[in-house]
Amino acid sequence: MSYAIDILNVTRAFGSRTALDDITLRVAEHSICGLLGRNGAGKTTIMSILAGQDRPTSGRVEVFGRRPFENDAVLAKVSFIRDNQRYPDRYCLEHVLRIAPVFAANWSEDLAEELVDGFRIPAKTPIKRFSRGQLSSVAILLGLASRAPLTLFDEPYLGLDVTARAFFHDALLRDYSAHPRTFVLSTHLIEESEALFDQVVILDAGRIRVNASIDDSHECAFTARGNSDAVDHIARGYPVLQTHAIGALKSVVIEGAPDDEVLAQAHQLGVSVGTPSLQELVAAYGADTSPVTPRAISKGTRA
Amino acid sequence: MNAVISTTRLHLNRRRETFVVPLSIAGMVAVVSILISLIFWRSGSLPGTPGWVSGSRSNPGIAYALVGFLIYLGVSSVATTFPFALALGATRRAFVGGTFLWNAIAAAYIAALFAILNGLEILTHHWFAGFYIFDIYILGGGDTAKLLLIVFLGVLSCLTLGGVFAAAWERFGVRGPQAIAVALVLALAITAIIVVPDLPAIVAAFQLWWLAVAAAALSLLAALGTWLLLRSAIIR
Repeated sequence: MSYAIDILNVTRAFGSRTALDDITLRVAEHSICGLLGRNGAGKTTIMSILAGQDRPTSGRVEVFGRRPFENDAVLAKVSFIRDNQRYPDRYCLEHVLRIAPVFAANWSEDLAEELVDGFRIPAKTPIKRFSRGQLSSVAILLGLASRAPLTLFDEPYLGLDVTARAFFHDALLRDYSAHPRTFVLSTHLIEESEALFDQVVILDAGRIRVNASIDDSHECAFTARGNSDAVDHIARGYPVLQTHAIGALKSVVIEGAPDDEVLAQAHQLGVSVGTPSLQELVAAYGADTSPVTPRAISKGTRA
Repeated sequence: MNAVISTTRLHLNRRRETFVVPLSIAGMVAVVSILISLIFWRSGSLPGTPGWVSGSRSNPGIAYALVGFLIYLGVSSVATTFPFALALGATRRAFVGGTFLWNAIAAAYIAALFAILNGLEILTHHWFAGFYIFDIYILGGGDTAKLLLIVFLGVLSCLTLGGVFAAAWERFGVRGPQAIAVALVLALAITAIIVVPDLPAIVAAFQLWWLAVAAAALSLLAALGTWLLLRSAIIR
């Protein structure tokens, strides 16, 4: 198998803050990788480094077998439009449509036209006055129509309405099927995007917590729900990622796979054991180990 | 080389700013200069007299009016275009090379534009009424070769200087341009302290090519500084 992305022991520090902490990651060519995690987990930093917009403090990064930073040949194959992308002053859609093919060798006029129509991107309004959703549409337009061998989508759904999101999914899958290439997509809309992913990477605080195929990702953890004492008994000896308790009932997400003994005990104690959804898994890995204690509401009409 | 040309085309994509705005600014200044000349005319000064010609040719309005816009254009060519160029796949090296090439193209365009307008002005005996807009001392006093050199190097200096300030902002945030400004003021002050005793002799020996060399050196230094600053700038 050949890899579009090969990251080995990469750390990125900004002063005293470590954005990426010794991460190692490979993404196969012609696949879609979901980069998931909380805000500040390090998703955009990874994409910046892959697109040659930043350099790791230590470690090695290769895109299509070569280091991306200041590498013309590699960067010509990468498309990365940030969620907060800055555009030149007084830029309108026509400027974007005129310049993008100059940089993107595989630019598709037909796909660009379809995306402009599908997202209803305004032609005359300056991009600086675009709504959040319209900015996301321009980023998707640039990312998809460029047909770059590696396309990095950073929160492509921000501000998009439900129709636009469905249109994006449809356009992405259709074009990916016709022109296979590698996508890395970061998002918080996990349930909507899950069907797109071949590989899932869950980051938290600059570390990779899960790196698995979409099928295997569900085996990374299990849920246990039931009487508080019984759930604690089941969870004993396992790393608990997240806990919810309401009265005598408790629900936990536990890292690892339950063995037969645990399943038998759970059955005996009336504890329901299941597989967490990808969204539950991401939430669990992002949860604080010492959960924030909710403050009692003492004032207000419904206190 | 392709990425350099692509970056130049990225800048040229702002056709209005590169080609139309300098022309419209020149047009506006021409109208204002003519209005001022008309005021002088009505107040008793006569077109074609030595005083009228000398006064009109000493008016540097056309040069001053463009400086502000050109520095803004230089700043915006880096501040907002750099992140977009990198998003499209340009390297920092290609961006600086392509930007410098665009600076030179814009400078050549404005110099050619001014030369044509200067030629028209002379051909029409100063717009049929003795109005001096381009045939002025600061632009070479009607000498086309001097005008081309002065405008080309002047525009190139403004654009590259604006670019290096924006690059400092990309690299160090607000403190970057402040540091460059302080360094420039200090350099000018120290130079003045050193040369003031010999100033009369320097003024007496002054040659126009000194300014040309200084402008060319300033532009090259600014482009080099832009590259050094952008080389390690992080896109946010």
